[in-house]
Amino acid sequence: MSSSDNRPDGQTLTVSISPLFSTPVLEWLFWLVLAGTLYALTDNFDEPIAEYRFGASGWPRVLCAAVAFGATAQLLYKLTRKHAMPVEPSGQSENQADEAAPPVLSLGSKLQRAGVFATPFVYLYVMPEIGFYVATPFFILAILLLLEVRSLKALAAVTAVVYGLVLLIFTRLFYVALPVGRIESFYDLNNWIIGLVRIGM
Amino acid sequence: MVEFLNGTLTLFGDPTAVMLFGLGLIGGMLFGAIPGVNMLTLGAVLLPFTINMEPNHAVMLFSVIYCAGVFGGAITAILFNIPGAPENAPTCFDGYPMTVQGKSGKAIGAAVSCSAIGGVASAVVMMAATPLIAGWAVRAFGPQEIFALIFFGLAVSASVGAETLWKGWLSVFAGLMIATIGTDPVGGVPRFNGGSLMGFEFSSYYLSAGIHFIPMILGFFAVSEVFVQAMSIAEGKRKRPKANLEFPSLLEFWSVRFTMLRSMFLGFFAGILPGIGATLAAFLGYSQAVRWSKTPERFGKGELAGVVASETANNSATGAAMIPLLALGLPGGALTAMIMGIFQIHGMEPGPLIFINSSDLVWVTFAAMFWANLCIVALGWLQTKTVVHILNVPFRWLAPGILLLATIGAFALRNLTIDVWVMFLAGAIGFFLRRTGYSAAGIVLGLILGKLGESAFAKSMQLMDYDFLGFFSRPIAAFLLVAAVLTVASSIWNEVRGHKLQKALMD
Repeated sequence: MSSSDNRPDGQTLTVSISPLFSTPVLEWLFWLVLAGTLYALTDNFDEPIAEYRFGASGWPRVLCAAVAFGATAQLLYKLTRKHAMPVEPSGQSENQADEAAPPVLSLGSKLQRAGVFATPFVYLYVMPEIGFYVATPFFILAILLLLEVRSLKALAAVTAVVYGLVLLIFTRLFYVALPVGRIESFYDLNNWIIGLVRIGM
Repeated sequence: MVEFLNGTLTLFGDPTAVMLFGLGLIGGMLFGAIPGVNMLTLGAVLLPFTINMEPNHAVMLFSVIYCAGVFGGAITAILFNIPGAPENAPTCFDGYPMTVQGKSGKAIGAAVSCSAIGGVASAVVMMAATPLIAGWAVRAFGPQEIFALIFFGLAVSASVGAETLWKGWLSVFAGLMIATIGTDPVGGVPRFNGGSLMGFEFSSYYLSAGIHFIPMILGFFAVSEVFVQAMSIAEGKRKRPKANLEFPSLLEFWSVRFTMLRSMFLGFFAGILPGIGATLAAFLGYSQAVRWSKTPERFGKGELAGVVASETANNSATGAAMIPLLALGLPGGALTAMIMGIFQIHGMEPGPLIFINSSDLVWVTFAAMFWANLCIVALGWLQTKTVVHILNVPFRWLAPGILLLATIGAFALRNLTIDVWVMFLAGAIGFFLRRTGYSAAGIVLGLILGKLGESAFAKSMQLMDYDFLGFFSRPIAAFLLVAAVLTVASSIWNEVRGHKLQKALMD
């Protein structure tokens, strides 16, 4: 939804109304719900402390109030600003809107973007079970594939170099204890890799 | 002078110290220059290993990383428009347009020279001023002053890195809220680690220890950068910038001499303020360069003075940022917070007494920072010649290594997988914060200063018998609080006036 107004110079001003309440209000609600939830949680530790009148919950409660105040100030500021701020003259707006418009993504691109976010969490979920040393090469490969590396040589070389450097620096030189897995066969495999890396030490 | 010479001899007479000095220098510069990682990543990865180092070596290593990293971050700012750290953000304004115009060598050359000049000048002033400030601080700084100082630091830093003042403040508040997780600093009462909410029961041993700032820093800076770059690749927007090796001429340097001097002064002044340090310094230096320039319209379009102002100011702040850390125990930013972490790991208390109890450590650190800044000139020149080749490595090949470094850094801290979860969650949150104009730097500053601020506030209240006006009976605390309130008021005024001006222009 939008309203228009003709200016004396012949250009048309368009005031955008629909996004007025959507994003700022949602943002405000997000902060308010967050502050409210945290405030409610402070009841769990609202205990008096000897020689400190404000107790354990005083400081977090003040911060919750500050968040609510800040979010409300931001909302008011944004609403007044958006009401007042005209969109570019219509003669220019189409081109600029085209330039500024977010790209239309294919399903593949959307899956790729989701994969970039999901892969580290999948890696983290799997790592304690199958161990760092087994999970890591697959993680490196997955990230490379998600970042559109398609050459087999590059996939193999980057995986080998990154994995090799990690083993050399953190396992052989710094003796960093990394997860070796909870599943028995993977536990053995991880320890075998560690033994291999530390040969001669 | 004698102490400085002793510090230099101790530094270069100890092979381990020399090795760590070189490692910090090269590591800081490289990590600053490689997109997706920065000095904070290196610092966070190395922090757990400082447990087994001597405190002198560990603090010296991180000081050198700080000097080298602040400079190194300029490389990514100039070549990729990615500031290696928030303090390099203003370097992007003119550095990246210079790269687009094929003048990357000039921009990097100016950054190398000005970083070294600013850093050396700052180190000299730091050596002369820190012991004086430390002596004065013993008498003048109590919990009231520390609370007022933190409040002032947060007031000035609130909008740094954020789209608007409100988003800056909300970011800082979010950081302060995260800092309350764990136990309260007065009675040790557990907070937010369990209980019930609307009938839903929960409890977490992990949260009892609080959320550590290292996984948060790794997430907000390193992981979120990988996400940002990955999205650019997925959207097909990522372009590799041009690079050349032509340095600025002496005449060009001469033409920006006043900008350099002004930025040096502003950088040192801003660096002393805890909670902001080099970041505010760079922004102040840049804004003053625009203000005093005869051709302000050229700024933001590839003006050499813009790079000079930002890089001189942020490196001038590195030495100054060590003053509140060493003299008062207040970190000025994320890396100085890590240095404070080293002190805590080794059971030492940064503050005025450190000059009496650990003067060796202090002077080795000072000497290392002085020499590191001088080395930046030589190594920076070499780096500029070679960094072009590193930049030819596609980001998609670097990304898995960056994520693995961050994963190991977060895990090795306490051998907890949940720290790595926190890091990746912070990375995802950081990605959305950056897209929505909130400030990751603000959250990290709030997180780092929150516990300290609450503790100082509680002690102040107990000392003043809960009389808030008691702050105004102490001149320094009163001055800092008034300055903080005026800063907040003026920034709100500027935000609202900017809005009114914009409205008037539209009308």
